[in-house]
Amino acid sequence: MTEAQDVVLELRSVSRHYPLKRGLFREPGLIKAVDDVSLRLYRGETLGLVGESGCGKSTLARMLLGLLAPTSGSVLLDGRKVDAQSRLALARRIQPIFQDPYSSLNPRKTVAQIVGLPLYLHGVGAPAERRKTVAAMLELVGLPPRMHDRYPGQLSGGQRQRVAIARALILRPSIVVCDEPTSALDVSVQAQILNLLLDLKAEMGLTYLFISHDLGVVEHLVDRVAVMRQGRIVELESRERLFAAPAHPYTRMLLASALTPEPGLGIPDITKEITA
Amino acid sequence: MDALLDVRNLRVELPGSQGTVHAVRGLDFQVKRGEMLCLVGESGCGKSMTSLALMGLLPRAAVRSADRLEFDGVDLRGLSPRQMQDLRGNRMAMIFQEPMTSLNPAYTVGNQLCEALRRHRPATRAQARDRAVYLLERAGVPHAPERLRQYPHQLSGGLRQRVMIAMALMCEPSLIIADEPTTALDVTIQAQILRLIRELQTEFGTAVVFITHDLGVVARIADRVAVMYAGEIVETAPVGQLYAQPSHPYTQGLLSCIPVRGRTPPGSRLAAIPGVVPSLVDGIDGCAFRNRCAQARAACAQTPPQVACGTGHIVRCVAVSRALRETRESTV
Repeated sequence: MTEAQDVVLELRSVSRHYPLKRGLFREPGLIKAVDDVSLRLYRGETLGLVGESGCGKSTLARMLLGLLAPTSGSVLLDGRKVDAQSRLALARRIQPIFQDPYSSLNPRKTVAQIVGLPLYLHGVGAPAERRKTVAAMLELVGLPPRMHDRYPGQLSGGQRQRVAIARALILRPSIVVCDEPTSALDVSVQAQILNLLLDLKAEMGLTYLFISHDLGVVEHLVDRVAVMRQGRIVELESRERLFAAPAHPYTRMLLASALTPEPGLGIPDITKEITA
Repeated sequence: MDALLDVRNLRVELPGSQGTVHAVRGLDFQVKRGEMLCLVGESGCGKSMTSLALMGLLPRAAVRSADRLEFDGVDLRGLSPRQMQDLRGNRMAMIFQEPMTSLNPAYTVGNQLCEALRRHRPATRAQARDRAVYLLERAGVPHAPERLRQYPHQLSGGLRQRVMIAMALMCEPSLIIADEPTTALDVTIQAQILRLIRELQTEFGTAVVFITHDLGVVARIADRVAVMYAGEIVETAPVGQLYAQPSHPYTQGLLSCIPVRGRTPPGSRLAAIPGVVPSLVDGIDGCAFRNRCAQARAACAQTPPQVACGTGHIVRCVAVSRALRETRESTV
């Protein structure tokens, strides 16, 4: 995937630090949520970002989306600094899909209204044209016309995630940041959403940053993997090489703890795996 | 068979404003002493309601009925709430998904552990404390004596779950019901906790009903598996048999949904199960899976037969029963 070397998004030693509360007897300190991360996202690839809770992967995603300013370093979108661009311009290029569609969809708007809102905000097309665009997008993500006038509360988890995907793609962005998009879903529904993400990528030529803790899903979907731990990227490698020969001990530990559905293998002894 | 827990035709109904939800619809299963039975299914399949029904912890409005509900020779159906309390935490214990909500934030760890023992056994404070320290150490909690003075919020998620496990073991129960005990944990911690549960189970000879949605966890920890769908058990089998020869179309669908290294080519389409789980309001006639099943036929509108297709392998499906009959007839 790196043959074109066409960088769409770049992080240059980005850090985000939070000061710890100072107390009478407490040393002043810093939490380094993201610590000196440099990363490139190439056009058309899917980059996986894996790590355990609290490792800083969501903080990193928020900085990429321009929702959070880095303490130091810079985020470049097509070679231009993200914080120098307007939110609207940014939204046309890069869009998020979050884990929990329950909390990211307005419960008082219908599906068609939710998906059409970005078009309205960006003043794209006349109302009749917008309705057509929305209907086409909803069809693309597999939501039949009878769903258009429903409210999020009337939808299942998988359908809600389809709405979130339609809303993310309605402005035809080139980059989508998927932050644990299937973690809240049942496995049978997860497969439907993963298939949809693969189809949409092929159809619209998207670039994905795919954040997940599920290594099985990551291996299925991505071209390259970045492993994050305590705010730092400890390993960045192509999928084949990372899964075949993980170099960093932490990556080895993560891979060892992933439980594949193969009976007879037993439960891995993590403490032994690290020293081995 | 020496069954520790014997359940026949267990039903749980939850009356609601939009009609009665039939959350559990006629479960039959047994758990042997020292056995690990996994109940696996997706959200809303009734697996948690089953565990609450066994423990007598259902919501007040819920109605439980069963043809048989025997635990260690005791009929649970006839027990008063008081008698249930004497059983819970004593001979049967429970581990929940989120230990923060089941540990009392106002009491120290030591307080809660000792109470679990002294509620049921004539133990002195010192004896209870010794047992608490011993079990915390067995559960892999470092600096156990100091931990007794700490409050739940001072512990990490993994440590809290270890405390919960130690607490469940205080009275050496013969049955532990573990409801998604590792779902809230990171993968590395999950592997450690699962290993711990398995080790302690073997050491103390405890039977465990392990409830989860994760087929990866099931494969590694179970002796026997019961797959649940829409409030019913659709397939039961020893773990190796279930993964080698999944027979119910739902089990087959679930297993082919998960990408597996070396088997699923990366980037290929996954075999998803179309559609969604049916509503359990006002109950379901016939096979609950038939509207999502590729092998559905007219006969699926009737209650599916239970078919034995191997040692301890039972499937509830018309298609399986037909296929089995045909192979039998062709060999005769």
